[in-house]
Amino acid sequence: MIRLRKLAQASARDMMVLAVVVAVLALVPFGVSRFTLSVAISALIFALAGIGWNVLSGFAGQFSFGHAAYFGLGAYTVAVTLTRYSISPWLGLILGGLVAAVFGLLTGWISFRFGLKGAYFALATFALAEMLRLTFNNFDFVGAGIGITIPLAGGDDWARIQFEDTPSLQYFVILGLVALSTIAVIAITKSRIGSMMLAVREDEDAASALGINPLRAKLIAIAISGFITALAGGFYTQFLLFIDPDLAFGPFVSVLILLRPIIGGVGTIWGPVLGAGILSVLGEVTRSLVREPPSFLQVIEGVNGLDQVLFGLILIVVIIRAPDGVIGWFHRRRQADTA
Amino acid sequence: MRGRLRQAAWAVLAILVAVILTQSTWWDTNQTVFAQALVSGLLIGGVYALVAMGLSLVFGVLDIINFAHGALMTIAIYASYLLFDNYGIDPYVSLLITIPLLFVIGVGIQRFAINPVMDAPIHNQLLLTLGIAIVIENLALVLFTGTPRSIELAYARNEFDLGLFTLDFPIKVFGAVVSLPKLIAFMVALLLGGAIYVLIHRTQLGAAIRAAAQEPEGAEMVGIDVRRIYTITFGIGAACVGAAGALVMPFLFVSPTAGATFNIIAFIVVVLGGMGSIPGAVVGGLVIGLTQEMTQIFVPGSSKLLGVFVIFLAVLLFRPQGLFGKVQR
Amino acid sequence: MRKITIYLSLLLSLALIATACVSDSEETTTTTAATASPDTTQPDTPDTPDTTQPDTPDTTEGTIAPAGPVLIGSIHPLTGGLAGAGNRMDNGARMAVEEINAAGGIASLGGAPLELVSADSTGAAEVGQSEAERLIGDGVSAIIGTYQSAVTTLVAAIAERDGVPLVIDVAVADSILDQGYTNVFRIQPNATSMGASGAQFLSELAGDEIKTVAYLHDDTGFGVSVADAFEAAAADYGIEVTARIPYPPFEVTDLTTEMSQAAAVSPDVIVITGYYNDGLLAARAATDLEVDVKAVIGIAQGAFHTPQFVADFGASAELFFNSNYHFNASDPVVQGILERFEAAYGEPMDTEAMLSYQAIHVIADALERAGSSDPADVRAALAETNLADHFMAYPGPIAFDETGENISAQPVLMQVVDGAVQQVYPLDLRETDPVFPGTAWSNN
Repeated sequence: MIRLRKLAQASARDMMVLAVVVAVLALVPFGVSRFTLSVAISALIFALAGIGWNVLSGFAGQFSFGHAAYFGLGAYTVAVTLTRYSISPWLGLILGGLVAAVFGLLTGWISFRFGLKGAYFALATFALAEMLRLTFNNFDFVGAGIGITIPLAGGDDWARIQFEDTPSLQYFVILGLVALSTIAVIAITKSRIGSMMLAVREDEDAASALGINPLRAKLIAIAISGFITALAGGFYTQFLLFIDPDLAFGPFVSVLILLRPIIGGVGTIWGPVLGAGILSVLGEVTRSLVREPPSFLQVIEGVNGLDQVLFGLILIVVIIRAPDGVIGWFHRRRQADTA
Repeated sequence: MRGRLRQAAWAVLAILVAVILTQSTWWDTNQTVFAQALVSGLLIGGVYALVAMGLSLVFGVLDIINFAHGALMTIAIYASYLLFDNYGIDPYVSLLITIPLLFVIGVGIQRFAINPVMDAPIHNQLLLTLGIAIVIENLALVLFTGTPRSIELAYARNEFDLGLFTLDFPIKVFGAVVSLPKLIAFMVALLLGGAIYVLIHRTQLGAAIRAAAQEPEGAEMVGIDVRRIYTITFGIGAACVGAAGALVMPFLFVSPTAGATFNIIAFIVVVLGGMGSIPGAVVGGLVIGLTQEMTQIFVPGSSKLLGVFVIFLAVLLFRPQGLFGKVQR
Repeated sequence: MRKITIYLSLLLSLALIATACVSDSEETTTTTAATASPDTTQPDTPDTPDTTQPDTPDTTEGTIAPAGPVLIGSIHPLTGGLAGAGNRMDNGARMAVEEINAAGGIASLGGAPLELVSADSTGAAEVGQSEAERLIGDGVSAIIGTYQSAVTTLVAAIAERDGVPLVIDVAVADSILDQGYTNVFRIQPNATSMGASGAQFLSELAGDEIKTVAYLHDDTGFGVSVADAFEAAAADYGIEVTARIPYPPFEVTDLTTEMSQAAAVSPDVIVITGYYNDGLLAARAATDLEVDVKAVIGIAQGAFHTPQFVADFGASAELFFNSNYHFNASDPVVQGILERFEAAYGEPMDTEAMLSYQAIHVIADALERAGSSDPADVRAALAETNLADHFMAYPGPIAFDETGENISAQPVLMQVVDGAVQQVYPLDLRETDPVFPGTAWSNN
């Protein structure tokens, strides 16, 4: 009890920030088109996935290049339990999270026991995600290459998390998931588990000298990380009303997931959400620019692939000029000012 | 104890495979298929080796993960194609152009984009090179559209009289076919591999590169310009795919994503062979090529790449330094 | 830290809202144009449109005031690996729109012109979905697309949910129309039809000469569903699939081993299903191996019926069969369309582009009958479609069953003969006689 109260006090400031952010984001659905709402929902889904990624790769320092594995497991769990066993996606989300956590624990245990670190661990995670994709692609039970389509519920259906008449409700659900996960992350950073992870990230040998079990810390991190990212994947299935191995486990999915926290700031509480926001805005702006450019840029109209080129260039510039993400950049600016 | 266990496991595995192979009726009826898988696997493995060599060098010397390696190969493929399509230059002659071209491009990328992130954490390097790959692929898309193109060499199915014997392509080896472009790619790839090995281990530049790889500070102290070495090495790595691109163009297609398949295979080969090891890249390339084709015939109904990834994981877990790498980290 | 975070999140939300304003302003201007048309149309004054001149569709001498353009959305992969086909399809649709407008637009809407709103799916399912939502928000009366089954699945769900009809030009997966949708229509044959018709053609073409088949196919939903349908139908004709060899179409760099596996079972013919690139690899492998079969036959194969395949593969392309959708090459109207397309866009028109062209005409026909550009009315009219005057190589009219499938849609059997892709079966559509048995290497 005392521990909880201490936790609450320590995280009070962060909770206030959370409240403000949620309140501001809650304003988004009002007065925007369905299209923009979809963009916002998609942004939050990948923000959530990034929050999960951040726990393992940011706080615990184990860079994962294959988080699509958890995303996809969550996505498919929801799809299969709904279409084959008529289980509500709410339960499916939790189940998906558990499946992902177990997968993370198993593969994490094998990887960490064999001393995989750094680039090697990253490549191993990538290989695992690819193997899942290839396996699901040939597995009839999950629809193989054809994938699984989610039947339309019609109207607003809370049990099925489909809101045909009031799409903003879908937005609020994902916003709620993002908020809950952020609370969990805040709790982690303020707790002993969090400091264990940070210690392991900084120097594993020193951490074990201090009596911390690095394996345990990493496994806890991977389980939580997988669970949160799987929630995002499960929700994604409901959003798209369809899932197939490429959408679930594709290497591009892993990249999309880690892009947000890195742009926003790895190992920070708000990095993933901030990064998600920046990237969505950037993506939409470049796409509308190519669609209908202002008169002085008329030459780029309709030139296909240009928006991706711009996107890649921006990515390069950000990595070179702001390697700690946007939040890190602000930090350094502040330090420079006060120096 | 663990070492003995591992050796025993390998031995058992090898025996099992041999027994299954020779004793099954499958073998009798499918020798041709097996021979074909063997041949195809080796031939493409040679190309994998060349591509991986460049990556291995970059990884071993600069210690960075270059995710744009495949995209650089795409540039080479397009360059070779354009030279063929517009000027009628034979793809193998175009090697003389694509190799230096990619070297220059590699140098440019290293100096202006990679240098700033040499000390950054790996995820930043990954994302940076990923950004470069996105830019290159989509520039190709903008300039050339996505329509895949391909060529057929006029002399690919000719007979060649070599005095002692004639070669009628595609030539048959134990019922398997060897097509001319693939054979040339294989031979040139191995030749270039040998050349790079000589460069690294028998020249002064190579000595400087090795020094910079193992002990950058020490190398700096003896007067080696490590920064310049990094740039040159990246250029050499790019030149490798410059060659590989021109070599595969005649039997693949020309599209913005043409080099992407080789990208991930290259990583797997590098890990299998050992970072920074040229012989490792060669052996690794051949093994991966073979694994691909063998998975196709022995594990029907699954993807070719599954076997490759299984090997990949096994190497990561049991021998992360690769076949030829030294134990480090 | 917290001050910055609050500042940043406010900035972010403002930015999001700003983006919303950017996309919404597009939406508001075009919706007013779209809503203008239904108010001014009167379906029972058919005389007026005849007196208008073809190149001034807005002037009428009757009671109908000029209507705003009817927006039709076109979602295809305009960037990404499939951009070649995607752009051709978009161009095909565009050309159809221009020609319909030049001929007077939609008569029953007072000569209202069509306007094509092109969107780029980038080859990604999610992008296609959000583009569909954008287009619907912009007020399109119907959508055509998308070339890929996964993208089409998502777009179809949106179309159904929002009540805007989708006319699929190219997408083969059966599952898209298995959902009980009423807003989605497909004009090409689906996977089952491709596979079943393929088996039928084989049996009718060769009689008893084809008893065993080795089937090489891509392992995506496309290849698997066509192969499954073929295998099931083939059994009814006494044809047995003795080997099935799937391969990953976007990862392979060589298909010689797979082709060797196919040849190893000594089949009468080898059947191939897949996309363009892997089709080329398969053709090369078959030619290299000089497989000892009576024929190599593509079923819904992406390469063997294209002029590009013949251009790329040269003399070795000879005698490859393909049972696939095709425009009716023996129809002079179609030949005119092909010529105009090549003149306008600098490359030969393929069947995919023709299907997009056809899809526009199907929608135009529905608009004429509906006399309204309201999506619900267009949908109802589409369901009643009976279009005999079409450009595809099947005898029946375009008409949709209750799931939205075109009941007349059928592939046609083609073969590369004398260096050109020609229709060889069914007999009333043939341009030349089929050469069977025969492969390029066995005939040397």
